[in-house]
Amino acid sequence: MLVDEPAEAAWNMAVDGALLELAEEPTLRIYGWQPHAVSLGYFQAIADFADLPEGTSIVRRTTGGGAIHHGDELTFSLALPASLLPGDIAASYVLLHDAIVRALATIGVTSHRATSGKVAAARPSSRWCFEKPVRDDLITDTGKLLGSAQRRTNTSQPRVLHHGSLVLNRPQHTPFVAAVCDQVPITEFLRNELRTELIAEITKVLGLAAQLGERTAAEVAMTARLCDEQFRNPAHLHRR
Amino acid sequence: MRPDDLKFQKSHEWCKIDGDVATIGISDYAVSHLSDLVFLDLPAVGSTVTAGESFGEIESVKAVSSLYAPVTGEVLESNEELGDSLEWLPEEPFGKAWMIKVKVTAVGSELMDDTAYDAHCKAEGSD
Repeated sequence: MLVDEPAEAAWNMAVDGALLELAEEPTLRIYGWQPHAVSLGYFQAIADFADLPEGTSIVRRTTGGGAIHHGDELTFSLALPASLLPGDIAASYVLLHDAIVRALATIGVTSHRATSGKVAAARPSSRWCFEKPVRDDLITDTGKLLGSAQRRTNTSQPRVLHHGSLVLNRPQHTPFVAAVCDQVPITEFLRNELRTELIAEITKVLGLAAQLGERTAAEVAMTARLCDEQFRNPAHLHRR
Repeated sequence: MRPDDLKFQKSHEWCKIDGDVATIGISDYAVSHLSDLVFLDLPAVGSTVTAGESFGEIESVKAVSSLYAPVTGEVLESNEELGDSLEWLPEEPFGKAWMIKVKVTAVGSELMDDTAYDAHCKAEGSD
């Protein structure tokens, strides 16, 4: 398990990319975004975000789905062998979302997994991940509370990178999202409690023991390389 | 029912080699696990793919998965219609949902026949 301070968008994505490739142990990473940033889903077109204010930090994720404005949120990534998750992709979201519903309940936040609505089948009708919830999304009475997406590789051993963005306070560019602050005041105590419960519930459903670790030298080196070659590279952002 | 002249990779791509041209796609098993396909990215004609390395990507249910080449060689054709007709993949994964055709210079070392691939799928499903 890794816990990072809020950091630059490109660096955040590079760390996750290195963990997907190299992490020897299943790794849950908790982090945040400084400055706040917009991340695009891997297949999204940068031209669809031309209206964002000049100077907005933008990065292209390697995971799918729609764009997210990462403001004050609890962000996590999971890098692990695919065998630790259900083979069916939708079922893997169900497993993790139900764990997070339980974590939220312990701090007094009521949420549930959407059991109706369309599946994420057709091409998204909204550019924003949170705008139109689909089946199995984690929602509250006011909207979608958690963004989720994955990257799957299958070289020597099938592996998964799972991204999760849990909104604490409503971000500027996506006012339609639900937020934890709708139900409970956001305090430092609450942030810590939520983080602790989220770690506990996710590791529990995966059958893992949470143990704080550090990045290996190889992971640090690959992070630097991915930052330069991919996530800070304008060609990567503008590839679509 | 799969055609009997195909070879498969553990990562679920199939290839049919006819002379020095390989037609490549993904298997019915892969399609059933991906489900709800949204986006597909294939290499351009004239580019080179390398056996065991990624040649494209596909998105389903907010998950992007890499596609791995079973052979090395130059891309002769890319199924440009498939990206806008992803429903072909569950309908005809071994037919009109082919992805690329490659002029083969080397064949990957871990290709399996249908029987071995079936056993691999069963083992993967029981993990």
